[in-house]
Order: sequence, then structure tokens, then C-alpha cells
Amino acid sequence: MADMTNADMEEISINTKVLIIGGGMPGLKAASEIAALGYEVSLTEKESDIGFQGETNSLFSLSSKDLESLKKLAEQVKSNNRIKVFTQTQIKSVTGVTGDFNVTLSKENEIKEKRVGAIVVATDFSVVPLNEKYGLSLSGNVLTQSQMEKLLAPDNKSGRKKLENKTVAFVVGFAQEGYPLVMERVMRSVLSIEETKGCSAYVYAGDLKVASDGLELIYKDTRDNGATYFKLKEAPNISPDGKTISFHDNVLRRNMELSPDLVVVEEAVCANQSNEGLAELLRIDVGPLGFLQKDNVHLFPVCSNREGIFVVGATREVQDLPLIWTDVENVALKVKNLLGDGKRVLPKEKAVVDTGKCVFCLTCYRCCPHGAIYWDEDNKAVISKIACQACGICASECPMDAIQIGGFKDEDIKVQIQNFIETGNNEPNIIAFCCQNSAFEAGKMAEAFNMPLPAGLKIIKVPCAGKIDIDYLLSAFVNGADGVLVMACHNGNCKSEQGNTFANMRVDDVHRMFEETGFKNDRLKYVTLASNMGQDFSSAALDMERKIKELGPSPLRN
Amino acid sequence: MSTTNKKVMVVGGGIAGLTAAWELSQLDINVELIEKTCFLGGYAIQFCCKATDECVACGACSAEDMLYNVVNEPKIKVHLATEVDKINKNGKFSVSLGKSSPQTDTAEGGIAKGYSKNNSPLFVVVDKKSCKDIPDGAVEFDNIEFANKIDDIDAVIVASGFKPFNAEIKGTYGYHKFNNLVTGLDLESIVRKNGAVVRPSDGKKPKAIAFIQCVGSRDENLGNLWCSQVCCPYALRMAEQTKYKNPDTDIAIFYMDIQNTGKNFPVFYEKCKSDMRFVRNIPVDLYPVKGDKLEMRYMNDDDGLPVKEVFDMVVLSIGIMPGSDNVQLSELLGINLNQDGFFACKDKFNRTSTSKDGIFIAGTVQGPKTIAASMAHATQAAGEVMKYLGVN
Repeated sequence: MADMTNADMEEISINTKVLIIGGGMPGLKAASEIAALGYEVSLTEKESDIGFQGETNSLFSLSSKDLESLKKLAEQVKSNNRIKVFTQTQIKSVTGVTGDFNVTLSKENEIKEKRVGAIVVATDFSVVPLNEKYGLSLSGNVLTQSQMEKLLAPDNKSGRKKLENKTVAFVVGFAQEGYPLVMERVMRSVLSIEETKGCSAYVYAGDLKVASDGLELIYKDTRDNGATYFKLKEAPNISPDGKTISFHDNVLRRNMELSPDLVVVEEAVCANQSNEGLAELLRIDVGPLGFLQKDNVHLFPVCSNREGIFVVGATREVQDLPLIWTDVENVALKVKNLLGDGKRVLPKEKAVVDTGKCVFCLTCYRCCPHGAIYWDEDNKAVISKIACQACGICASECPMDAIQIGGFKDEDIKVQIQNFIETGNNEPNIIAFCCQNSAFEAGKMAEAFNMPLPAGLKIIKVPCAGKIDIDYLLSAFVNGADGVLVMACHNGNCKSEQGNTFANMRVDDVHRMFEETGFKNDRLKYVTLASNMGQDFSSAALDMERKIKELGPSPLRN
Repeated sequence: MSTTNKKVMVVGGGIAGLTAAWELSQLDINVELIEKTCFLGGYAIQFCCKATDECVACGACSAEDMLYNVVNEPKIKVHLATEVDKINKNGKFSVSLGKSSPQTDTAEGGIAKGYSKNNSPLFVVVDKKSCKDIPDGAVEFDNIEFANKIDDIDAVIVASGFKPFNAEIKGTYGYHKFNNLVTGLDLESIVRKNGAVVRPSDGKKPKAIAFIQCVGSRDENLGNLWCSQVCCPYALRMAEQTKYKNPDTDIAIFYMDIQNTGKNFPVFYEKCKSDMRFVRNIPVDLYPVKGDKLEMRYMNDDDGLPVKEVFDMVVLSIGIMPGSDNVQLSELLGINLNQDGFFACKDKFNRTSTSKDGIFIAGTVQGPKTIAASMAHATQAAGEVMKYLGVN
């Protein structure tokens, strides 16, 4: 944007109010941080109160002092005049776009409309007992991790009395892969058990998930205080009544048996059940395991596929409290960058719809990965300048060619194609359409480090591989290209999530056309690269040159 | 309050320092970015892409993107080959800088080369005497622009990073004695240079590769009681990529406990299990055998019996150690280190906080972190600086 003049830019007003969904600790912290930046916040919670709910206390292994300070945070949020709290409230619908979302809230029979500029989703984890996966029913001697934590609670004297002189076996990591958070709960309980008179702890574990600050040290402490760990590849056999645990010990090479007084079964920490419904309302992607963020590095830490809708903490990943705090601080900064003082200066021609051509087919609305397109009263597509990421997927999919992307207009790209192809030389003419985020940078890297490249290679930069029209590919061949490379990001690395998928599909389409005409498919290739793969860029380009030399010049080359 | 006259010093130009600097600049804050070596990007910029046909979210390309952002941002002033000598606080911070000594150990033919095309300069002459061809645009070490003092600094972010474990300390493995025994870090540069895993001894693709996990981490003997958090991810991703590019490769992972890699770990791990062998045993030593191969002995998982096996190449998954400057920096700044030697946090929930007003920490200087976690932590630090400066 630095090289744009003022005439290319326009000022846009945006709503600076923020909606936060979820009144657990991440939501409260986010509300307090965002309000501190001067923004008005609406915080919704479907339960009757905000703050820690039930078992989340023990989930984060908090001390009573920690709990006090967090309770204070809840009080501060309630009394903050920039924050409005809506309890027992659900989200009914979300329309509009970044900078001007229209949200309908419902509380029992009452319906409220809210207009906000940005939305932060901060749902809590769900905790699920896994005893059934071990073939166990809960009973007096078969407990969940949460039940054990209740017995060990500092104020539960009778609970601890019950544990005296008991042998306690924990099973963890066989019914799920788990997380450091799950492991930390077990280890903290073990430490606490070791302080109980005559009580001893055995831990049957799959992989110990210790990839978290301080956890290896806690692991050592539990062993120093007497805990025994059996690390097994498969779950041990536990009798249905939980009275005997048998397993094969690899080191001793023999079968072992333990008769514990209590068996404590791990719990899964999973995505909130309400996530999928929220994702549908908000039109954001559901990622792996039901969390609301794809495993795409461009989104980390707190972005969703829609500008202005953010995901923090348990909404996007299983995290401990310090990491949730990190997320919250990131979101506050992102909200500030987005909303600023309510005015944004943006390029006029980011993506422009020619309303004369638009026939309201809604192809663009459906294919936009950023939820940036809506329509006006005249039934014409409108592209939000704030929400649009200028990837150009819509422009290439639009059957009427009604959309143009600033800086990458079709006519300019076609002129580039014509100018680039020199038919007078003997070198194979290779055109590489390169995504500016990955392959284009890899090409520049190959040049900077003097890696070998074909003499007849010409690079055309596109905003995203999703902008590479079938038209461009055909036009390149018609103008005399011997070979064409479509170079995109790896699957799962596209900033627009699917730009590379669209590019790949278009290459497949052209290949099918080629098959009918007898033109060689090898002249057109789809390649995926990252921005730091100069060597691979060089190899892919040289491979194409070698192929063209085998095939000879294009029959379309004059 | 206006931000345009605020100035923040960021110590360290690795991924955390770059991110912190960039985020501050986006708040209209001026940044003085101090980097000890001749190149920005730290270790993250040296890592290779580990994608198969799919991105595995290692984050190496994020380092590339962030470096590009920083070198094109006029609000960030970069000081290369520079170290912090002294720091005083009298209302604001005032910092004396020293020129670092040229790192001749990583240079080839007297020339140190950057890792990214966005490194500027790309080539630095560190030893003129052993220099034959000087590439275009190379800058002599002594000619790198240098400032010896910066005044009026409003806040400091320490992002001086980590030190990779020195594998020579685990003497029985014989690192630097055997050609085809490399560290995870060596493997990154091998793949960047060759586009695939090749043996240093003959440049050929190895048929059998072993990865030994937890080299230097989770090691009570060395007093290193922490998981480095990055080694399972990088080893598994690298192994998967090797398998993708060369399906005939036989790969064995020797491990204690496998840590999660990415957001869809259960699926990724299943794929790994079908592509390679996992042996829950850390071999103690290695022996050279004919053909520059390496033999090791270990306990078989299934029956607990000792086995001997020969590999074409062995990779030591070295971990994240406290930065070599941590002790000196902590004394200079008056901030304590924790029991592991990383910078200690004042507030257990806010891991960017320190005991000194106006000084914040970001990235692996605080403890082991992936690229994504370092970036998030650095952005958090920038946010904390914003609050500290009262910027609204």
C-alpha cells in the first residue's frame, strides 16, 4: 500500500463496538483488555453467571490465591461501565460484515439487536470422562479425574481422610492422545496424594505429554516423592470392577499385576459442543477436533477465516491459562489494529464489482473464503473493503467476469502474458503464474542465491493462486508459451484457505481440454511451494524446461 | 497518548524479536532492533519447509514473511552485529552498544551468507584475507553501520532467543566424529540446500535413517529438566517429508514420550505410525561401520531383547537450551533467571512480565517455544509494552 497515492485510497467508518461470546475466564480477560483500549464491549454468556464454572478450577491447577485474583477479574468486568454483560443469552443470528456486524441475541423470550465491528469467540473447554473407553463404570473405587480432584481439594478434610493408606492407580493417555493440560492434572493429583498419609500412587501412561513450561520438573517431583510410572504402548487390562490391573512389563519381561484401592480414569479435554453451531452462525471454519480454527499458520494465533472474527483460548486449541492470556493479549492488539479510532483508510479498488455485469448468481458469495461478500437492495454483489483480502478467487470464479482485483486486473495480466512471450528465440518459453505469498517469493529467493533457472522463464505474480483464471492459462499457450507452471502454496497453507484448491481444479480442467485436442498435458503443471523453497522452485522450473526440450516447441508457437 | 514519539528497544532479531518489532511498529511506535549477528531471522529463518503435499504448519515460512515485513518497515531501525553493553534507567532507558565480533565459524571462504533473500546485506565479508571471490552487494563487516549509543528508550523487549544443545556434550554419540551423524539443526540446512535429506559423506539419499529424540532435553544427568517442545514436531515432520519424497526410506524414531505436533495430532500421529517405526528406547551410543554407516544397540519394544541395527544416517534431535547471553543479559538488566536458566516471569499467568518496570521478555528467552508460540508470545509482549506506555 506504500506506493499508493491518496487518490487511490478512501476513508471508511467502522463500528468500534466489540462482541465477546463466552463469559468464562478467557472471555472476561478479553473483555477487560479490550475495554481498557477504549472500546465498548458486549459480553454474552449462556449460563446464569460469568466467571469460572464448576470443574474448570481444577483444570488449570489453580491455587486459592490464583482463584481469588480471577474472581476479582469477574467483579471488575461486572462493574466496568464500558462492558455490558448479557447472561443466559444466546446468539441467534449474525449478518453483515467486518466493521458492521448485526447480531441478534436472545434471552428467554427477549430478542435484542446489536451492531458491532468485531467479534471475539471465547468458549470454554468441554470435559468428558473416558471410563467407558477403559470398559469401566464409575463406582466407589473407580473415579474420574475430576472426582479425584474434589477429594483432594484443600477444604475437603474428609475426602483426604478417605484416601489415607490407599493405593491409587491413574490411567492416562490410552483412550486419547491428550495434552500437557491433561497430564498436568494427573501429576498435580499425584503430588497431592503423596502428601496423604500412607497413600501411594501408580501411573499407567501412554505418552507423557510434558511439552509445557515446568511440567518435566513436576514429573520429577512426583517420582522423587514415590510415584511409580508404567509407560506402556497399550492400555493395561483392568478388571471390570477396577480391582486388578495387569500388564506386561517389557523391561522385566514378565506379566505384572496390581490391586489398587482406587482407579482414577483420565478425562478428555475437548472442544465445546456449541462450537459448531457458532461456526455456522458466524460463517467461520471448523478446524480439527471441533476447534474453531484451521491448522493454517497464517491464522495463528487468534484469527479465523473472516476478518474481524477472532478466536481465543479453548475456542481454537487446548491451552493452559498463561497461553490463554497470550491469546487474549494478541486479540486485543488485533482488535485495535482493525478498529483503530473508527476510521480506516483503504484502497478504493481492492475488489470492484461491475454492477452492469453482475446477474446476482451468488457464485462470489459462496466461494469467498473470507465471508466478505454480501448484496445490496438492487440485488447486486457488494464486496466489503475491510473484510476482503483481495485473493481474487471470486474474480476468477465469476461466470460474468464482473469482478476485478486492484493491481491484478485481467487486462493487465493478459498484457503481461503477451509481452513476456518472445517467439523469436530458441529457448523454451515458460510462464510461471506464482502466488505472491509463496512461489513468487521462492522465485526471488532462487534468483538472489543464483540458483539455476531456465533462460526462457517468465514469472507473473498473482495475489493468490485462486486468481489464476483458466483464461490466463489458455492465453499463455495461444500466445506461444511452450510450458506453463501454476505455482501455489501447499495444501493447508493458503492464506485464503482454498485458493490453491481452485488453482489445482482449473489446471485439471485445462488438462481435460488438452486431452480432447491432443495437446500434451505435460506442458501445464501444478506445483506447490513455500516462500522459503528457492531450491525447489529452481528444480520445478528446470524440470519443466527439460520436459519442453523433450517435447519440442509448442505447436501453437509461430 | 501519541505513540509517534515513543521508542522501544528490542534485543534480538530472531522470530520473536522480529514479531515484537513489527507489532510495535504497527502501533506507530519507533523500534530499535538490536541483532548480535550480521543477519536477521535467528534460527527460525534457517529452517526448511517441511510440507509433504500438505503444509504441516511448522511455521518456517512465517519467519520468512515476518522478516520481509520488518525490513520494509521504516519505523524499525535495525542494528546488525551489535550487542548491548550497558543499560541505564533514569526515567527513560539509555543504552550503550558494542560491536560484536565477526562469526567466522559459519562463514565459507571468509564470506558469511544470509539465509533469506530478505537479509540485507545478503553477504558479509568477515575475513578479508581468506576471501577470493566477493559476491556483488557484499558488505565488509567493519562497514556495517553501527551506533554506539541509543537514548530516550521508553521500554525494552528482550528477545535474545535460545542456544541449540551442543551435541558434543553427549560424547558417546560421537557428534563431529562421524560424517553421517547430524543434528536436527544440521538437517534443516541440508534440506534447504539440497531440497531433500542427503548424507553429508556422499550426498546420496540415505535408505535407513534413525532419529534419536530428547538429545539434551529431559536429561536429569545434565540437569536439563525441561521438554524442549519443538523436537518431536520437527523430527516427525522431517521424517514424514522424507518419506513423502522418498517412500522407500526406512525411518526409526527412538523416543521417550511423543509430544503433540500440530492441531490435528491424532491423525498426523497415526500417519506417522504407518510410515515409520517408533521405538521407546533412547540408544546410549553409536559405532561407525563400513560405508560411513552407524550401528546402534537398543532394547526392542516388543520383547525387551537387545537388538543391533545399522543406519545410513542418524539424526540427533537436539533441544532448546537457555541462550548463551542469558547470564550476562540478566546481570545487565537486573532480572533473575529461573532454575533452568531461562528468564523468570514475575506474573505466572503473564509470561512476558519481568521484575523490572519497562522490561518485557518474548520468545525462547523465557523457555522453549515453537515458531508459532514465539510469535504469539512476542505479540503479547508488544501488547504489554503498549499498556505500559499508556498508549490508547
